[in-house]
Amino acid sequence: MAGALKTGFALAIFASGLSCAAATDVTLELRDGSGRPIPDAVVFAEPVAGAAPVVKPNTRALIDQVNKEFVPHVSIVQAGTSVFFPNSDNIRHSIYSFSPAKVFTTKLYSGREAAPITFDQTGLVVLGCNIHDSMVAWVFIVDTPWFAKSGADGIGTLQGLPSGEYKITAAAPALNLPPQVLNLHVDGSAPMHSTISMGAGQ
Amino acid sequence: MRIQRLQTRIIIFFVALLVLVQVLAFTFVNAANSRNAQTKVEEELNVGQRVFARQLEQNAEKLKLSARVLAADFAFREAIATHDTGTIASVLANHGARIGADAMVFVELDGTVISDTLRPQSEARPFEYPALIKANKNGASASMEVLDGRAFQLVAVPVLAPLPIGWVVMGFAVDDSLARDLRQLTELEVSFALDAPSGWHVLASTLNGDEQKALLADMPARSAKVTRLVMNIEGVDHQALVIPLDDNNNARIVAVLHRSLDSALAAFERLRFTLIVLAGFSLVLSIVGSVAVARSITRPLETLASAAARIEHGDYVEPVNLQRADEIGVLASSLNHMRSGIADRERRILKLAYEDPLTDLANRSRFNNALEQAIAQAAQGTARLTILMMDLDRFKYVNDTLGHGVGDHVLREVSLRLQHTVLGAECIARLGGDEFAILVKHAGETDLTDTARRIISALDTPILYEGQPLDVGTSIGIAHFPEHGNDAQTLVRNADIAMYAAKRNKTGFAVYDPHYDTSQQEHLSLLGELRRAVERNELRLYYQPKVSLHSAHVTAVEALIRWEHPTRGLVPPALFIPFAEHTGYIKLLTRWVIREAVRQCGAWLREGLTLQVSVNISARDLMNRDLPELVAELLAEHDVTPGLLCLEITESGFMEDPVHAQKVLDRLAELGVKLSIDDYGTGYSSLSYIMKLPVQELKIDQSFISRMATDAEISTIVRSTIDLGHNLGLQVVAEGVEDAAVWNMLRTLGCDDAQGYFMSRPLEPAALASWIRANHGTFDCPAAATGTNRVLGAQAR
Repeated sequence: MAGALKTGFALAIFASGLSCAAATDVTLELRDGSGRPIPDAVVFAEPVAGAAPVVKPNTRALIDQVNKEFVPHVSIVQAGTSVFFPNSDNIRHSIYSFSPAKVFTTKLYSGREAAPITFDQTGLVVLGCNIHDSMVAWVFIVDTPWFAKSGADGIGTLQGLPSGEYKITAAAPALNLPPQVLNLHVDGSAPMHSTISMGAGQ
Repeated sequence: MRIQRLQTRIIIFFVALLVLVQVLAFTFVNAANSRNAQTKVEEELNVGQRVFARQLEQNAEKLKLSARVLAADFAFREAIATHDTGTIASVLANHGARIGADAMVFVELDGTVISDTLRPQSEARPFEYPALIKANKNGASASMEVLDGRAFQLVAVPVLAPLPIGWVVMGFAVDDSLARDLRQLTELEVSFALDAPSGWHVLASTLNGDEQKALLADMPARSAKVTRLVMNIEGVDHQALVIPLDDNNNARIVAVLHRSLDSALAAFERLRFTLIVLAGFSLVLSIVGSVAVARSITRPLETLASAAARIEHGDYVEPVNLQRADEIGVLASSLNHMRSGIADRERRILKLAYEDPLTDLANRSRFNNALEQAIAQAAQGTARLTILMMDLDRFKYVNDTLGHGVGDHVLREVSLRLQHTVLGAECIARLGGDEFAILVKHAGETDLTDTARRIISALDTPILYEGQPLDVGTSIGIAHFPEHGNDAQTLVRNADIAMYAAKRNKTGFAVYDPHYDTSQQEHLSLLGELRRAVERNELRLYYQPKVSLHSAHVTAVEALIRWEHPTRGLVPPALFIPFAEHTGYIKLLTRWVIREAVRQCGAWLREGLTLQVSVNISARDLMNRDLPELVAELLAEHDVTPGLLCLEITESGFMEDPVHAQKVLDRLAELGVKLSIDDYGTGYSSLSYIMKLPVQELKIDQSFISRMATDAEISTIVRSTIDLGHNLGLQVVAEGVEDAAVWNMLRTLGCDDAQGYFMSRPLEPAALASWIRANHGTFDCPAAATGTNRVLGAQAR
């Protein structure tokens, strides 16, 4: 984690099999300064011109609480998504957020007692548990259907991106680094693959 | 100043020793105690400092904990998260009050102050102590800082939502109650001070106002290190530590921990007081003890000293009474032995000192003591004292010619006779030589003259030595106290003078007369004048004729010197000849006499008068080797045949140095000068010796001649002397013929010549010449003139 903190972003994009009319997948590989993959980072693309197409969001998302930890501790959802907070622990939790994108508090609950929270404003919401200070979770709320979360291999894939100019944002909230923003021209003819290196100096 | 008394010295020694030990002990104990007290204070301060530091730390931890709990309060966090300034301010005030914080500040992550309960504000401003909030991003930190001129324990904790969104800084004022709490824990006085631009001032303290002022007056310069110093707070020394508390801003805030040295030294002061009391007590004990010891030593010493003093004063009766087994006892018995030893020796010494060992009479010292005592007693009353001084007339001859054994015998015999003769005398003493003295008290004048006469007659009887009679006469001088002197010295001197007067006048004894004294003194001035007498031609020669008893012819004269003093008149030779002999002036005088006699002899020759001239020469003249030459020259000069000069010498004259005298006499005899023995019978010269001398004449002393008419024994002596002289072939001359009876006796005895007043007294040359011419050269004996009483006629020499 410390090594990653010292690492800034370095973005290199490789495009292949471009198609003007068709959509394509953009694979983004996130690595830290030492070349190690960064898991649990988020990437999303916003078209530079015009709004993103209104796509009915995946209206349900889920952040479980297991062993006094949020699982997953990093989530990315489309605005308007309702997020469920099931409690898998046999102790009670009380989830809160003071983030401006969504301020809320749940009462102490267990199991599935808590009502889902709808995040309808874009931004970053940091979640905590009122009972357990060590619990923290980040929720990115974006206004675009093209977003992904990196896996253990540090790779996140933005699927079905039509050709055009995009603003790509990458963020690794657990690393406490500012989001990395870059513009990307997408040629829908072929899937694209690019590596974003997050290192110091960016 | 030297301390003389042993007792004092012992006491001083012991007391000084003890005082020294006490002072040393006290000094060491005092120094050790002082050090201990100092160390104790230091340790207390060190402990206090550690407790203080720990306490501040614990305070901070406690505050941090409280702050953290507060910051974790959901409602608090919720209110902070509203970003509503008014809400934030109110929640800060509210929650601050909950944990008793005196100041609450909310600082955003970027260091901007959002809200401050102490100093409400309109605009955002950076937080003054960024180090505090940067120190630990996620935890709490604390430090001592100044806010608005006051000191605060500041605690900063992040506000988590759940990630840090800012810092809440809580300030807890450093106040008197904190100081008091710390004092309770550290047992030290605690003050907090701030170095403001205007100088040090107290933030909080356990001290009162005046003490605080005193503290500020002694504050040291600002330092980042702990400073140790001694402060004087209201007259009491305090050991102090100045501890910088804020490391962010140049040690502006300090804690001053201090403790009164007096309170730390109080126990030591009590110990010191005890020591002083102990020292004083043991000093008194030691003085008492050393006085006792000193007494036990010095008291017997004083007894010994007083015994020694008794011995010193001559009291040998009382022994030292000190029965002890120790050294002092030994000393006491030694002193007793010494006492008896000294007594014995003193008796012996006194005997030696005050008795004449030869005669067992008192000696001069005892006589003087007795005389002085008697004078002292007599001076009280009106008592009369008398001393008689006497010496023996011919003792010197006895001693010189017969030896000291004989002399000693004579002295013993004289002393025995004196003791038998003089009864009731205070003291009879032999003063030395042949000099005796007698002290008589309460004697009348007649008793005294009687005593003197009895002494003289007692000594008239010749003393027998191995069957031989020795004739010693005596002369006695008498002096009375107080008429003749107020002190011993004067009395003795005047008695002496009287004795010499008696001897001179052949009176046997004489009572002192002031006249003697002046005449005695005259001698001295006469002697001076005698030196000039020759030059001034004051000396004269008178001539007494010698008449032949066979033919009545006047064939010879004896020259007798006279001094015609311009003021004193005629001075008799007895007054100046003895002194001239003593001073050696006699040589000059003799020279003058011989010269004059020879000149006169020559003058008479030329007048047709042939007279042999006799001149007396003294013993000293016989020592003069030049005498024969002088005589020869004079005889030649005046054309006088040697046979006309006769030199008369006394027996004693050639007895002094017989060998030398013999030589001189032999040479004179060779010249043809006639030699004669004068005053024969008064000395002890042996006839066998006289036989060897080249003399032709023997002159019998007038003391025999004057008494021969009345004393048959003397008459016998004169006769045998005349026979003896004739048998030796000598011409015999009798001196002192004063009447016809003696003249006739001498003629009968066959004596050759006679000389005396009966025929003629000494005459001037012209008168003598006239006398001879008038009698036609012979003496016509006036038979009718017998019995003329001239006992005390002038003594011819």
